[in-house]
Amino acid sequence: MGSRVEILNDGGFRSDGRRQYELRDISIDFSLQGTADGSVTIHHGLTQVLVSVFGPREAKSRAQTIHDRANINVEVNIAAFSTGERRKRSRGDKRILELASTIKSTFEPAIQTHLYPRSQIDVFIQILQLDGGLLPACINGTTLALAAAGIPLFDFVCAITGGVHSASPMLDLTTLEENDIPHITVAMMPKTERVTLVTMETRLHVDRFEEIFGLAVDAGKVIHKEMKLAVQARTSSLVSSLGVGSKPEGDRGMAMELDDS
Amino acid sequence: MALLSKAEKSYIQSSLLSDPPLRADGRALTDFRTIALETGVAPLANGSARVSIGRNAPDGGGGTEVVAAVKLEVEAIGEGEGVDGGRISCSVSCSPTAYPHLSSGALDDLQHDMTSVLHSTLGHSSLRPNNLGILPGKKAWLLNLDIVVFADAGNVYDTIFMAARAALWDTKVPRTRSVEYRAKKLDSIDSESKAMDVDGANQDQGKSVLDTRETTKATDFELPDYWDEGEVLGGREAWPVCVTLNLLPSLHFLDASLQEESSVPLRLHTMFSFPPTAAPCLQTFRLIGPGVTNSTHIQSLMKDGEKYARNIWSALESKLKDEDIRRNQKAREKFICR
Repeated sequence: MGSRVEILNDGGFRSDGRRQYELRDISIDFSLQGTADGSVTIHHGLTQVLVSVFGPREAKSRAQTIHDRANINVEVNIAAFSTGERRKRSRGDKRILELASTIKSTFEPAIQTHLYPRSQIDVFIQILQLDGGLLPACINGTTLALAAAGIPLFDFVCAITGGVHSASPMLDLTTLEENDIPHITVAMMPKTERVTLVTMETRLHVDRFEEIFGLAVDAGKVIHKEMKLAVQARTSSLVSSLGVGSKPEGDRGMAMELDDS
Repeated sequence: MALLSKAEKSYIQSSLLSDPPLRADGRALTDFRTIALETGVAPLANGSARVSIGRNAPDGGGGTEVVAAVKLEVEAIGEGEGVDGGRISCSVSCSPTAYPHLSSGALDDLQHDMTSVLHSTLGHSSLRPNNLGILPGKKAWLLNLDIVVFADAGNVYDTIFMAARAALWDTKVPRTRSVEYRAKKLDSIDSESKAMDVDGANQDQGKSVLDTRETTKATDFELPDYWDEGEVLGGREAWPVCVTLNLLPSLHFLDASLQEESSVPLRLHTMFSFPPTAAPCLQTFRLIGPGVTNSTHIQSLMKDGEKYARNIWSALESKLKDEDIRRNQKAREKFICR
C-alpha cells in the first residue's frame, strides 16, 4: 500500500465512506443452484458468498451417522479469483477446515438435529468475492439456505464483525479494516438473545470487549430484520405461485380444501 | 452422470431413435437450450464471465452454470516454469453442489480430468497471445484461468469452453513500458538521482545503476496506466469453442441433459478455433465412452462438428461484442445521463 489509509478520519468517516456503526448493504437472492434443496447468494458489501444446502438425507458413509441426531457436514471452497492476490487453496487447507468447523459448531445448537436421527445435512459454501466479514457472510448465508431448504431451526443465526480503532468501536469491517484493527465476530440468535459464536484472532483490551460485544449483538438484530424480510418475500412469492397454473376441473375441490387447512 | 435404471436408459434411447426423434424437453437433435452469458462478473479479475445453459427464467434455478475468471501475474523467466513470451495456466474446480453424489476424492478426479482437457487445449503454443511478454528473457505475464462449475445439468464441457472463451475475450492486459537505468557521469549523478526520486519508479535504482554498466537492455518495467485500461489479448478471435456430439448408433445430438448424457455410449468432444484469416483449426478431439464407432463415421462427424462449432462461434462473437458495448459505451452514457 502506497500511503497509509486512515481507518477513521476526523469527520467520523471510514475509508469507504461509512459511519462508525453503519453496516454495508446486504442483498439476498434465493435462486436455486443445481439440485440443491435450498440455496442462497448473499452479497454483503463486496463480499459474495453462495451457500447450498442438501438434506436431511442419508449419509454417504455409515461412519458419519450419529444415532440420535443429524450430522451437519460443512464444506467451504474459496474461488482463486476472490481476492486481489490470486491464491488457490486446496480442500485440505487448514484455514478452510477451521472456517468449516467453526460454521458447523455455530449451527449445531440452532438446527433441530434431533428430528433427523442417522441422517446428514450438507452445507456447501462457495466464496466468490472477499472483502472482510467472511465468517458472518457464511453464517448468515447458511441460515438463509437452511430456511430455504425447509430445515427446522430453533432460531435464526445472525452474525457480524465488530472492531475497535483507538477508542472508537465500529461495526462490519472490510478487509482493509480487518487487517489493521482488533476485531471480534459474534453470531447470535435474535429471538432468545443467545450467542452461539464469539471468535477473536487479534488482541483486544478487556475493557473494550463489552462495548463491542453489546454493539455486535444489537447489529445482529438489525441483520435479523433484513434476513426475515428476505425469507418472508420469498415465502409469499412461493405462496402466490401456488395458485398460478391451470388446474383440471376435478382437482379444484381438493385445492380448496388445502387452502382451508 | 445421473443415476439411471436400465429401463430409463432404453426409454431415452428408443425415443431418440424413433422417427421423428423425441427428447424430453421437446428440442430437436441439434437444438441447444437457452444460453445466458455475462462478462465482467468478478471485479478483482482481469477478465471474467458467467455462462449458464438451460436456466429456467422464472426462478433462475436449474441448468449448467460456470464462472470463469482470468488473473494475470508477473513471472520471472528462468525461475520455475516461466517461459519467454508468457504462458497460460488453466484450472477447473467443481463445487460439491454440482455433483452432490460424488465423494470428495471422485470430485478431485473429475476436476483433474476437466483441467487437463482445458489446459492442453488452451495452453497450446498455437493459441498463445502475442502480448503476454513484458521484458524479453526476463519477465512475462502468467495468465491464470480459473473456472468454477457451480451446477451441472449436462453438457458441462461446452459450457466450460464458452465461459473460458468469454473470460479470455474480456481480459485486459495492463500496458507496460520498459525502464532502463543508465550510469551517468559522476558530476551528473546528483541531479539525476533527484529526478529519479521524483519519478519514484523503482526502489532498486541504486543497484540498477551498477547493473547497466554490463548490459544496456531494459531491466525493469512500469505501468503507464491503471489495470482496467489495458489492451485486449492478442488474437482473441482464435480462442476455441467446444462442441460435444453425443453418439448413438446412426445418429448424434447436441447439448445433452444429464439423463441423456448417461444413456449414450459414446461422446465426442471437438474443439475448433476459427482464426479470422486462416482456415478453421481442430484443436482437440476426444472420444469418450465405452462404445465403438468406425472411422468413416468419424469423418462425417467432424464435418458436422465444424458446422455446429461455427454456429456457436458466431453466436458467441456477436454476444461478446454486445457485452463490450453494454459495459463500455452504454455504461458511459448512463453515467453521463445520471
